[in-house]
Amino acid sequence: MTRHVPIAMRAPALILVAGLLGCAAHAPPPKDYSKFLAARPRSILVVPVVNNSVDVDAPVYFLSTLPVPVAERGYYVFPVNMVKRVLEDDGLSDASLVHQADATRLCNLFGADSVLFVTIQRWDAKYMVLTTKVTVQFEYALKDGRTGDTLWTEKRTMVYQPKQSSSGNGLADLVAAVVSAAVEKAAPSYMPLARQANAAAVRYPGPGFPAGPYSPLHGKDLPEPSSLAAAPPPAQGTGASPSPAPAGRP
Amino acid sequence: MHKPLLVLLASVVVSGCASQQQTLYAWGGYDESLHAYYKHPQERERFVDNLKTVVLQAEQEGRKVPPGIYAEYGYALYEEGQYGPAVGYFKKEHELWPESRILMDKMIRNAQRQGSRQPAAATGPAGAVAKGTP
Repeated sequence: MTRHVPIAMRAPALILVAGLLGCAAHAPPPKDYSKFLAARPRSILVVPVVNNSVDVDAPVYFLSTLPVPVAERGYYVFPVNMVKRVLEDDGLSDASLVHQADATRLCNLFGADSVLFVTIQRWDAKYMVLTTKVTVQFEYALKDGRTGDTLWTEKRTMVYQPKQSSSGNGLADLVAAVVSAAVEKAAPSYMPLARQANAAAVRYPGPGFPAGPYSPLHGKDLPEPSSLAAAPPPAQGTGASPSPAPAGRP
Repeated sequence: MHKPLLVLLASVVVSGCASQQQTLYAWGGYDESLHAYYKHPQERERFVDNLKTVVLQAEQEGRKVPPGIYAEYGYALYEEGQYGPAVGYFKKEHELWPESRILMDKMIRNAQRQGSRQPAAATGPAGAVAKGTP
């Protein structure tokens, strides 16, 4: 019986657990998709992330996890590394300056329909002698390139703590726990946690956003008119349902 | 002993999430490779090799190269001073992904401008090596 899992084996296990959890049905929280549906972006510009954690490496590491899940939702995602370098060449190497910039001007510069701003709120590992608790927290905001309106927001927190298994031998368990906590402290599992957070954030139906033009689900997964929170509460009858016409962009 | 049963069980677990496991594109470890590059910038060559592999594999299999990858690869070549090949990949991104056209037009113009400034001897792999290894 292994009591602590080697580093190399932990990440796949985390992902497997995430995959299984992902299958559980989640009632989507009520979100207003009316602006998203009116904008119907085809492309998403992912700009460097703002870091509010104390880990200086977090923003570039985290940036590398963003393009794949967003593109897999069916959107054109601009080349993140190239975008980062181009912004740096334009004197915008500070991500907070990029986030303060006007969304419409940013999108105009790159020819993007929308821009995704992500802020890292937490990226830390707390060592507590017998265990290490790893926490990541992100805030996502998608803004429209034409109007600057916020089309979608989400906040995700993920926590990982090595499990303590009991073997009946108190001392052995204690040693195993200390070793496992030290291993996690030395190399915290930020990346699988970050990937889980992104996957959970963009999932739809769920807290994410409807599929983009390159997904086979495009136009088939639109929210029910009732979830367009901007609409007035339904009157007694059926009411006129504002059918979101698939306007699309030219 | 019960290996077939185990395999069956495993496949049930996996297929239970089949809709989430299928991907639109073959990324070929692009995100891990980008992460490794940010972690160890001195291993840039690996990142560029990975981009090249993602492009070649998708082309060989007749699949769409994932969004942004032609451009990332073109930009890596651009950074190495290989402006001619860079233009080629920017054009491929432009062709495959209409959403990229405004940016790719700018990058193509930039690369062509840089290329015309450059003395002919510095183009190609020799120039790339000189700039690639500081």
